[in-house]
Amino acid sequence: MTRTTPSRRTVLRAAGAAAAGVGATGLASCATPVTGSGSGTQLAYWNFFTGGDGERMVELVDSYRAEAPSVDVTATTLMWGAPYYTKLAMACAGGRAPDLATMHVSRLGPFAAHLLDPFDLDELAARGITQDQFPSRVWENAQVDGELYALPLDTHPMVLYVNTDLCSQAGLMGDDGELAPITSVEQFFDAGRRLAEVTGSTGISWAAADGLASWMMFWSIFRQMGGVMELPDGGPAQVDREVMTATFSFIRDMTDGTICSQTLDGPAAPAVFASQQAGLFVLGPWELITAETAGIPFTMVPFPALFGDAPLIRADSHSFVLPRQLSVDPERRAAAYDMAASMLRNSLSWAGGGHIPALSAVSESPEFLTLEPQSNYAEAAEFVEYDPAAYFSGSGSQLMSYGGQQILGVSTRAQTPEQATENLVTWLDQQLAIPSPV
Amino acid sequence: MATTASGATVVPPPGATQPRRKTPSLTTNPGGFWFVLPFLVVYAAFTIFPVLYGLGMSFFNVSLAGAPTTFVGVDNYAELLGDAQVWRTLGHTLLFTVLSTVPLILVSLAMALLVHTGVKGQWFWRFSFFAPYLLPVSTVVLIWNWLMQGDFGFINGILDFVGLPKVGWLSDESVALTSVVLITVWWTVGFNFLLYLAALQAIPESVYEAAALDGAGGWRRTLSITLPLLRGTTGLVIVLQILASLKVFDQAYILFNGSGGPGGAAAPILQYVYDTGFVNYRLGYASAISYVFFALIIVVSLGQFALSRRRGRTAA
Repeated sequence: MTRTTPSRRTVLRAAGAAAAGVGATGLASCATPVTGSGSGTQLAYWNFFTGGDGERMVELVDSYRAEAPSVDVTATTLMWGAPYYTKLAMACAGGRAPDLATMHVSRLGPFAAHLLDPFDLDELAARGITQDQFPSRVWENAQVDGELYALPLDTHPMVLYVNTDLCSQAGLMGDDGELAPITSVEQFFDAGRRLAEVTGSTGISWAAADGLASWMMFWSIFRQMGGVMELPDGGPAQVDREVMTATFSFIRDMTDGTICSQTLDGPAAPAVFASQQAGLFVLGPWELITAETAGIPFTMVPFPALFGDAPLIRADSHSFVLPRQLSVDPERRAAAYDMAASMLRNSLSWAGGGHIPALSAVSESPEFLTLEPQSNYAEAAEFVEYDPAAYFSGSGSQLMSYGGQQILGVSTRAQTPEQATENLVTWLDQQLAIPSPV
Repeated sequence: MATTASGATVVPPPGATQPRRKTPSLTTNPGGFWFVLPFLVVYAAFTIFPVLYGLGMSFFNVSLAGAPTTFVGVDNYAELLGDAQVWRTLGHTLLFTVLSTVPLILVSLAMALLVHTGVKGQWFWRFSFFAPYLLPVSTVVLIWNWLMQGDFGFINGILDFVGLPKVGWLSDESVALTSVVLITVWWTVGFNFLLYLAALQAIPESVYEAAALDGAGGWRRTLSITLPLLRGTTGLVIVLQILASLKVFDQAYILFNGSGGPGGAAAPILQYVYDTGFVNYRLGYASAISYVFFALIIVVSLGQFALSRRRGRTAA
């Protein structure tokens, strides 16, 4: 006998199998932690802080939790860089974004166009946050089309880490116990050479093979030399080629294997400084904890003006943004404002990680001014140079990645400064010529 | 159809009928459909639908930055034909596939043969050769990243010690892709080794005994018995390896922290797809690139399939 319809038993078995299958997929998708008592306002917050910064961010979140016990905050930490911005953009595009998120001000442009809501200045003022409390350069860069899209938490400029012990052996310390002022390229290179004699390897630790570290140096020197880069939609890129070539030449001269290694990468550069194989170290201020943990005698100062008069320094800011949602719950939105304001007010502990708090009430507070070495370089916030505006620029962007490749090519002598300029400008023109996704 | 002991396929003469089954089989019983349904639902939702959806996306200028989407026809495909970066990264992927497939087969075969000779401490060799395969990619890359450091890495330290010049494993454009190959070989050779070892153990001892009686020595037996009988496994390993190598992304991405390596010399095409779609927000264009690459993989697979079928027929 051949059955043409499934028997009761067959159907039951199939249904059971189907239910098991659905159950399994249901479990697999159950990655969102379910927390809280179920009452009160829910607030989803995304950030990209791990390591030492991650611990201090947890403190900030906890202090807000203590201030607003009725709000149930779900804080999600993701890996910084391209993966983070990818996930945030996808969440925004899907309309189910978190209520509050962290973002580098340098990445604001393409997000502000469609994926974020601007801050309401009255709502901020009601929480005691106003424009006059921020360094003007930082505030300006948090704006898009005249509206505030990012609430800056901090500024993190490129700084100079100084091993005081090695530097005094190399005769680089002044009578006041501080690093003697460095005001020219020659002095900077000379310091590197003298330190190399002391360490027996290289003088200055700088990660030529890390896009972020190398781009910071490149952009700072390019701006100090008066270089201008405009990236209009459709192109071509407006670039001072001569200044760019001079900047690449500076990189090549610096990476002679004595002053600076040609090939250090991101993890290696702080390790070299922490193990006292270099007397100076150039990066953002976030390796403060690494140096402290290593127990070496060190301080930190603003990166000096090697060209020109003003110590223009590449910087970026961590900030809070309001991702656009399909439907905005006023209570959650209000809680997002509360939380952002609270974290700004409490950012003294955030400064422990080396960042300069953006809010003047914190950065000018006696507590911060006594904080060493952070207060040494706090003035740098006045001279910060953000990356040129384009959808492909900013921290963790393609410009940083491609620019970093060209810088590494120069430091390893795989190409000349002229070739590097040609490559970078050609690439910029190509990027501008293709249809913008924004 | 039936298969004889020699492995040749015997086609039943026309008109011959299969013996009728007494019990309903999974394929003839309509209830079977309900058992397959859960899989089909998941397969349709997570494979068929995304494949078709992605193909559709490649004809639009879909943006991750939320810009309005419009139909652009074959503009994306036209653009990629002239995009030097597509061809450059595709070249990296193909070069990686060649550079990695050859040692991954030869080294694994050599390791399997050595272990199969009956060297003492079998479990130790098997474990040692297979262990790296068990490590997650991030761990593997982390280990090698420190080993390959230019200034104070272990490998360069050894080279320096014996008086050889240091190598820019991670900083020299001409070496970067080779470094990725080295890491990949160390990491995944254990899998092919396992396949070969299993195949070696499946060769009946009697064949060797017969050959020994005929006076064949060790080399003769290896060349005339072992290697020919491993041909099926080699075919399988080659196919699996080519497909795995074409998919190279994670180890290269992590090793160079997403930068593509010095001068972008170690950026595989999948990284360009990722960068274009997710870092530069151009999902539509990234889809077009990935479908061209997909087509290439299908061509390679079909070619390999045709080749192995022909080989199978001539062998019979």
